[in-house]
Amino acid sequence: MNVTLAVKQYISKMIENSGPGMKVLLMDKETTSIVSVVYTQSEILQKEVYLFERIDSQSRDNMKHLKAICFLRPTKENVENLIQELRRPKYSVYFIYFSNVISKSEIKALAEADEQEVVAEVQEFYGDFIAVNPHLFSLNLSGVARGRSWEPTLLPRTTQGLTSVLLALKKCPMIRYQLSSDMAKRLGESVKQIITKEYELFDFRKTEVPPLLLIMDRSDDAITPLLNQWTYQAMVHELLGLNNNRIDLSRVPGISKELKEVVLSAENDEFYANNLYLNFGEIGTNIKNLMEDFQKKKPKEQQKLESISDMKAFVDNYPQFKKMSGTVSKHVTVVGELSRLVSERHLMEVSEVEQELACQNDHSSASQNVRRLLQNPRVSELDAVRLVMLYALRYERHSSSILPGLMEELNRKGVSERHRRMVTSMVEYGGKRVRGSDLINPQDAVAITKQFFKGLKGVENVYTQHAPLLQETLDQLIKGRLKDSQFPYLGPSSLRDRPQDIIVFVIGGATYEEALAVYNLNRTMPGVRIVLGGTTIHNTKSFLEEVTLTAGAGQAERVQRAGGHPNRR
Amino acid sequence: MASSYPPPFEGTGEVKEGFLCPLCLKDLQSFYQLQEHYEEEHSGDDRHVRGQLKSLVQKAKKAKDKLLKRDGEDKPETGSYESFYYGGVDPYMWEPQELGATRNHMDFFKKHRAARIDHYVIEVNKLIIRLEKLTSFDRMNIDAGKIRAIEKSVVAWVSDSDVPFCPDCGNKFNLRNRRHHCRLCGSIMCRKCMEFVPLPLAYKLTSGTREARSVTGSQSQSQSPPTGGGGNVSGMGSRRGSISSLSSVTSMLEEKDDERIRCCLHCMDTLMKRQQKLEEKDHVPDIVKLYERLRLCMDKVDERAPEYIRMAESLNAGETTYNLDTAGGLRMEVQKYYELIDALSKKILTLGMKEEPQPHQKTLQLQRMVRYTATLFVQEKLLGLMSLPTKDKYEDLKEKRKQEQEMRLTQERLIAQVAQKRRQDSEKNRPAASTNGEAPQAPRAPRMTKAGGWLPSSDTLHTCGELEDPLLQQIDNIQSFLRQAKAAQRHDEVAMLEENLRQLQDEYDQQQTSLAIALSQRLAQEESLQQDELQRLEDREREHRAQSQAPGSQATYTWQGSLNLTDIGSLHGEEEGEEEVTPKAESSPLSMRAFPALTDQDEESPPRLRRLRGDVTPPGGEGQNSSSLNPFEEEDSTPVEDPSNPFFEEIQKEHKEVANGKKEYNPFEQEEGGEEEQGQAEGATGNPFEVKEENNEGNPFKEASGCTPPGASTNPFEGEDEEAMPDVDVIEEELLLQQIDNIRAYIFDAKLNGRLDEVELLSENLRELQRTLQEQKSKTH
Repeated sequence: MNVTLAVKQYISKMIENSGPGMKVLLMDKETTSIVSVVYTQSEILQKEVYLFERIDSQSRDNMKHLKAICFLRPTKENVENLIQELRRPKYSVYFIYFSNVISKSEIKALAEADEQEVVAEVQEFYGDFIAVNPHLFSLNLSGVARGRSWEPTLLPRTTQGLTSVLLALKKCPMIRYQLSSDMAKRLGESVKQIITKEYELFDFRKTEVPPLLLIMDRSDDAITPLLNQWTYQAMVHELLGLNNNRIDLSRVPGISKELKEVVLSAENDEFYANNLYLNFGEIGTNIKNLMEDFQKKKPKEQQKLESISDMKAFVDNYPQFKKMSGTVSKHVTVVGELSRLVSERHLMEVSEVEQELACQNDHSSASQNVRRLLQNPRVSELDAVRLVMLYALRYERHSSSILPGLMEELNRKGVSERHRRMVTSMVEYGGKRVRGSDLINPQDAVAITKQFFKGLKGVENVYTQHAPLLQETLDQLIKGRLKDSQFPYLGPSSLRDRPQDIIVFVIGGATYEEALAVYNLNRTMPGVRIVLGGTTIHNTKSFLEEVTLTAGAGQAERVQRAGGHPNRR
Repeated sequence: MASSYPPPFEGTGEVKEGFLCPLCLKDLQSFYQLQEHYEEEHSGDDRHVRGQLKSLVQKAKKAKDKLLKRDGEDKPETGSYESFYYGGVDPYMWEPQELGATRNHMDFFKKHRAARIDHYVIEVNKLIIRLEKLTSFDRMNIDAGKIRAIEKSVVAWVSDSDVPFCPDCGNKFNLRNRRHHCRLCGSIMCRKCMEFVPLPLAYKLTSGTREARSVTGSQSQSQSPPTGGGGNVSGMGSRRGSISSLSSVTSMLEEKDDERIRCCLHCMDTLMKRQQKLEEKDHVPDIVKLYERLRLCMDKVDERAPEYIRMAESLNAGETTYNLDTAGGLRMEVQKYYELIDALSKKILTLGMKEEPQPHQKTLQLQRMVRYTATLFVQEKLLGLMSLPTKDKYEDLKEKRKQEQEMRLTQERLIAQVAQKRRQDSEKNRPAASTNGEAPQAPRAPRMTKAGGWLPSSDTLHTCGELEDPLLQQIDNIQSFLRQAKAAQRHDEVAMLEENLRQLQDEYDQQQTSLAIALSQRLAQEESLQQDELQRLEDREREHRAQSQAPGSQATYTWQGSLNLTDIGSLHGEEEGEEEVTPKAESSPLSMRAFPALTDQDEESPPRLRRLRGDVTPPGGEGQNSSSLNPFEEEDSTPVEDPSNPFFEEIQKEHKEVANGKKEYNPFEQEEGGEEEQGQAEGATGNPFEVKEENNEGNPFKEASGCTPPGASTNPFEGEDEEAMPDVDVIEEELLLQQIDNIRAYIFDAKLNGRLDEVELLSENLRELQRTLQEQKSKTH
């Protein structure tokens, strides 16, 4: 069930298949991301892969002494490029791997282009997704929805991605989908269709309890992606933006050249792996310890190496030392930048109100706080908009809603028209009308007392009170209490036992907060393994873009329909 | 003293539990993982010899565990158990899964390619055959009309009227834009779309088929055309003009048609591809050659470095399992590989840098990457190479270890001694006579007498030894497996076996000790009644022993003395032979040489025996020896001290020989009793080695007439001296070499870390050392 390992195994198998000798890895744009997320350069160099090339690159030279490993998505352009490549081969041998199912006719076209018999292997290796963490994958697709339905080109792409996950993990699942979302149903059907069509591929060893694929829609929980995050991975993504485990730090003032772009990979970075899910305060302590460790070791460097034994001692420590110094400077920079942003944007205050909006049910206090923050000139435009959005979603139908007043505040604050329009788009996207689950329900007595006790004990961090809806849904699913009326099975059969292997897919993108929730569920629930996936992994910014795209297209559709124009799609 | 004792068990406190693989004791996180691991790793084991080995090892381990009631699994724990703490499993700890689904399209691909390839190959072959026909005649000496006829016979030309437009560019043919025929396929094109195959290229392309056709007949022919054709081309150029004027149709354009063959774009394309392929087939770029060597070095390092690290660890612990020199050699070897890797990768990096058109950017990038990888490799691996103890330090370590072991032994011995003394005393009545009787024979085989004297006890010991036979057998077996594995270069197995061997030996020693203790205790019980009586008789017994010992040591002495005498004798004989220029005498060096060899062997044999026993003899036996207060024991214990260091012994031996030689040099110079010894020399001529010696030495007369000392006539001692002297130097040289090597390694490290000042300092040191080495060398030669 480890998606990272699945991709890694595919890639190392490819390299292994090609035997010894110098190699070049030929990829397209998407497979480049897929490979780079799971392998570092030095790791792959050790496997004798010395060059990484794009199949569409024109600057490649003839290098007949290299073996080419082609890892490509089976797209038309890739096949066309590959045909051109085979007609005039630049490398001695070609090992071709497609990341998904490829048609016979395309293979035939390739075979006919291979006049010089340079192709040694043509296979399908289903690594067609980005494995962010062992239990988290993404397809890096944004703007998947047009109004309430699929963007037509992206449904097949999403289906491909999701089926490749199933194939890579060797799971032939039962499918449950969110009834309130038409997109979830469409995707479920599409996946089912592929499973039926490629039945021999999905013919895996039967397990006692069949695995389960749960398809959800982001619109069911529009609150989670709007919240500021305080655990390391989620926070880095929210404030700096994680793209294929890389952060762009070039905007950080006074950044040194080698830290402009840093990689945060739990596979090779022990500190990151240990702190991925810890909150900001804990990371602060840990980074301090790391610094102290570093400082303890550092004098050795400056120490005059008088004798050979001194030198030897230093050299013996060198690899750890070097690795450590890299880690230290990286994390110090990242955490430093995070804390700078936190204080600059008053994120502590903002987050407190966000959490109150999301978790408490006190309208007057919440509205007061929101209004107060909006009047604070230090609060950024994005944060102001996000507060209003949260308020709008939370108290959508509240009798004494002050939303118009808040909108007026936004206007006064000088928030752009675009952002203000987003508030309505957001309500349209994730408002009560579209939600299938009770994201915000008047909490029952038990829940309220629980909250109360937590508050009393002071254990619960005020900034991390919120638990995503997904956590509740999965909890119910594992306990066998998830209602069929909300999440029906696709097809006649249903699961009688408690599910064991669960793949959750969120159309419209998952979040790192949800990834953390799934991680914790994995650790606390015996016998259950859950993998989370999404069309992408959102932070607030990317989520707002997603919503704008969705709503914008939806509005366009409506306008067209109203104008009597035939629908383009 | 038997072989090593078990090292102090560090971390025996950690007892492994959880999902351990029964075969390799690998810790696996869960049952599934274990099952999978078992299926993957060990399913095929039973079929292999390796599997058998493993089961054997397991048996040995089990036996050991049973005997010692102790777990040997003190490997450091891997992985954490954190994953279990809430009942769920951290996704990072999920059990490994098999490779995801795959689908292979190669068969389908091949099927379609095969059809295409057939087509392509036929096409190419057709063109080549036609090309061959077109070039098979001497184009220079045949007039154009005939050429045209031949060309037309090779392939039917498309008729002009059928093609009004150029099929490639679509231009209309007319008087100006004339039609041209492809000589290879007969198609028509315009002048712009026309290509030419130069004759040299044509010869090159067809050389393969030509050779294939005339396998035996005309190999020389097949080679001549290219040069001949080329020569003709230049030679015939001028003559061609007049001929062309004769032909009615030829235009100005076709003037040079005999130097090349006209063809269309498509045929040219196919031919060029073919040519490219031919070129690539034989061409191996430099980078590939260098890279292959680089990989070879890396593989060697991967293979050797773990072995070295194992050795170094063992040596640093003062164990005697490995030899310091071998380890030093291995270290040097590994370091040499590192240097080679560095040098090769540097060479790869700078490949083609000086050439004028700089290599393609990607080529440079490739070179950089290879270099980077090599640097990473060296950085990672080199730094793990721990240093070896110096010779002195190693001796210290060994001494320390030995002392530790002896401390333990002496304690046990003390217990044993008390009992054994009593036993000896009890048997005093009988031995009192027998010791006297045996005393004169004692020197040759002191052990035997001893054994005879204490027959019952040694017998019990012996039977005990037989009872433990399975263990010994196992040791034996493993030793033989070890040899096989070493021969087969299976380093991992060697490691495993060595480990087991050590364990078994440790255990065996322990067993023996405990047995000895038990035995002595039993004896003590039995004889406690006789104790009083015996104490009275003890003094007398001691006297007897003193008597028996004295003659024994004397005998050895005289024996050695006589050996010296014979040496001297043969030496003199040789000297005389030299003077008398007789072949007989010439042979004497051999006899003499043979003699020392024999005596050497004799001299050596007791320690060797001892050494053998050292492996096998239980410490209990040693305890007995010590209680007997036998003077031989001390003598013996020295060689046993370093049974694993034959080199050391050899050095000693050689030193001894040198000493002998020097001692005997004096009588040689005196030349006193040459005639006296002749008889002996003649006696030595009976030596069967003589003939051989003569053959080896060549004509004895010639040498004799030359009378030159440096030749074969040089007495063997001088030769020996020469051999031995350098040996002393060799040791120093070796030290020097080692030091040089070390410094080289440091330089390398420093270079990698970019510390240039250190590099300078070190290289100066290196130069100095090398100078000394040079001097040393020049001195010795």
